[in-house]
Amino acid sequence: MAKKITIDPMTRIEGHLKIEVEIDGGKVKDAWSSGTMARGFEALLTGRDPRDASFVTSRFCGVCYSVHQITSARALDAAFGAKVPWGGNLIRNLVMGAEYIYDHVLHFYQLSALDYIDVMAIANYKGKDKDLLSVKDKIVGLVKAKDTYPLTPRYEPDEFSVKDPNIVISAVKHYIDALKMHAKARNMGAIWGGRTPHYQNIVVGGVTSYPDINQWARFRTMLDEQKKFIEEVYIPDVLAFGTGPLWKLATMGVGGGHHNYLAYGDFPKDAEGKKLVFPSGVIMGLNPADIKVGAFDPNKVTESVKHSWYKEKKPVHPYDGEQVFDLDKKGAYSFVKAPRYDGKPMEVGPLARMLVAKNPDVIGLVKKGAKPGAVARHAARAIETKLIADACYGWLDQLLTEMTKPGFKIHDTEHWEPPESGMGAGFHEAPRGALGHWIKIKSKKIENYQAVVPSTWNASPRCENGVRGQYEESLVGAPVPNPENPINVVRVIRSFDPCLACAVHIIDPNTNEIRKFIIE
Amino acid sequence: MKEEDILSKKLVKVVESHGIDRRDFLKYCAATAAILGLSELEFTTKIAQALESTSKKPAVIWLEGQDCAGCTISFTQILYPPAASIILDKISLRYHETAMAASGHLTEKVFQDTVKQGGYVLIVEGSVPSADDRFCMVGGRPFRVLVEEAAKKAGAIIAVGACATYGGIPAATPTKGIGLNKALPGKTVINLPTCPVHADHLAGTILYFLATGKVPELDKIGRPVMYYRELIHDNCRRRAHFDAGEFLTDWNNPAQKDWCMLKKGCKGPMTNSDCPIRRWNNGISFCIDCGAVCMGCAEPGFYAEMSPLYAAESEISKRILAMREAGLFKKET
Repeated sequence: MAKKITIDPMTRIEGHLKIEVEIDGGKVKDAWSSGTMARGFEALLTGRDPRDASFVTSRFCGVCYSVHQITSARALDAAFGAKVPWGGNLIRNLVMGAEYIYDHVLHFYQLSALDYIDVMAIANYKGKDKDLLSVKDKIVGLVKAKDTYPLTPRYEPDEFSVKDPNIVISAVKHYIDALKMHAKARNMGAIWGGRTPHYQNIVVGGVTSYPDINQWARFRTMLDEQKKFIEEVYIPDVLAFGTGPLWKLATMGVGGGHHNYLAYGDFPKDAEGKKLVFPSGVIMGLNPADIKVGAFDPNKVTESVKHSWYKEKKPVHPYDGEQVFDLDKKGAYSFVKAPRYDGKPMEVGPLARMLVAKNPDVIGLVKKGAKPGAVARHAARAIETKLIADACYGWLDQLLTEMTKPGFKIHDTEHWEPPESGMGAGFHEAPRGALGHWIKIKSKKIENYQAVVPSTWNASPRCENGVRGQYEESLVGAPVPNPENPINVVRVIRSFDPCLACAVHIIDPNTNEIRKFIIE
Repeated sequence: MKEEDILSKKLVKVVESHGIDRRDFLKYCAATAAILGLSELEFTTKIAQALESTSKKPAVIWLEGQDCAGCTISFTQILYPPAASIILDKISLRYHETAMAASGHLTEKVFQDTVKQGGYVLIVEGSVPSADDRFCMVGGRPFRVLVEEAAKKAGAIIAVGACATYGGIPAATPTKGIGLNKALPGKTVINLPTCPVHADHLAGTILYFLATGKVPELDKIGRPVMYYRELIHDNCRRRAHFDAGEFLTDWNNPAQKDWCMLKKGCKGPMTNSDCPIRRWNNGISFCIDCGAVCMGCAEPGFYAEMSPLYAAESEISKRILAMREAGLFKKET
């Protein structure tokens, strides 16, 4: 008989998420994903100086703040008519590069790894490595003191859990090391960002941080350390897990979902802007043997509120969206809206980006039999971390050339004051996926503001047609032999790196102006 | 044996057992002691004792309401001592949704067990929605109820970040987020504002509590005096340019690079925090150093009263300039 279980709160994610699954015959038969917190930023931004938007939207999320700051600044750039000097764009790219590095590393070790390893297997470590023995002492010490929080309580390890003490102990050591590397990567971003979380240097027209050569050298040295960790620890760990103990989970394709993928594309490699680190594109119904990538058309984005706690309205483009709460609405179960592309639910994020880019490493894994799903998502995330770190070196080289030229610029000062009226869209590939902000200005103030964020795509509830969102669909078929221990459910959800504070956003008063917005 | 030698041996033992680089640890202890205005020897001894008693680690419940997890992330950035060593060795972190292994019903049980036991440190991040409980639900229950339950038997309550202290950004939204000052009337709450909380402010406050068993001296709005005593403006390295009337207008001009940010909208002259001295990210930089303005995030008026954040001419900047003309910022010599 089918049994319904609820996981609330879903932990080790950003924000407040409830997952409900119906289990039948040891597998998930149906699933519901609910965002359970709202702050309502819209009323806050309406009527304010547009330049506030970059700093307020940064507070959508304290994990991935800068993504909103830069996307907002890009929307403002378009609305103000500002042209960011290449020097300003290079610094924007570099601080965003730092964000990718700390975000992805944190996600794998701090937020996900505990789902895959049996930490207590450390007690069986028989090796003599001094560093690893100190980790063993630490964990055994916690157990002896009968105080193993926050590592326990936990869902019990299952057939997919890694129990080899040698692998587990090095993973736990890397868990501790990664927390330091994550802090150091944030320090790297703060060289020009001022501080983290919530960078302060990205404004309409460019950046505020005029670089000096010592900062440049400091950033590069810190990047060297990060790159070493990515190449020698992070990627080997993910691949060792994914192609070793978790290979079965990978080949089963647990957590696959709809297999529709969307990437807006981002990060020009040079001032010409023709080559992107992450190309743009759409894949509908992936066929791994023959990947067909279509062009992305921003006009095909709509949002449904059929099952969300907002006043009923037909699906519309984000520009026509509104956010009038209706907490008593029948059939509603989430504060997250349901974005659709051409009417279809899409996955955004590292796996979508790497498939759209036809990245040879990810394609290689797929050819070996790994089906796109939870495990593949971790692999794609690790692989793209290296791509962005490599791109940072290119940007640093260009920055050194630029900043030592006379007349070096970081900001379009001519377009600093808000225009009387204007509108614009900003797009960005955030670590969690495709992100867009839209702004409309009237009488030098914000008239409306709208954001469609990656976790809204992924965590969306059902739409008008009753079609499940990507989290929900990904859970269908996931093995849950014991309903008391739904560890595969949390593995699947965490593989997306949920960010619910972002997903339950925002905005905006009614407007019928949608298609007048210039979308670049 | 001299007292210094005993202390030294003790520290070495502590440091070795916690896997921390000894020099960094001593540096951290000395710096903390200096800031607290305590004798270095006295304080480091107490910290050393506090850190040694691993068997009796204080329980911590960290609740997240209308938050962005920025304060959690900020805390994990501390390197000296490393966040991992605080979490695993110095405290018993029973409940923290972003960090804990448990999910779903397992979290509820830990929460209830810890609350029953009492005497824990309660840390709250994010505001409480006052317009309707349903704007923030955790485990099917209103966040407000979790906070009230947890506050009853807490040994100390720390509000971290602008939202949990005074309402922050959610205060100005339809959900009407409130800080603990309003959500827990009559309770002593240690307020650590700034958006997000400064990792040092939180780590130092926890260490102070562990070492002394007491709440540090608070100012009239509940902030530890040791961190919020002075105006940002009074310690700003751009201060001389303010006094000389040199204000940055063009970020491209290297000659103006270090000039005063007031005419871009800086709120440093009305904000109390030690940011300019302590700086952020383990001393790397802070807002004003990256050419940005101070947004006033350590004050109860953040965000609504600080808006517009950037503006050459705003009510706030006019007021500050008038005060400057009147000589109110001049220091007695």
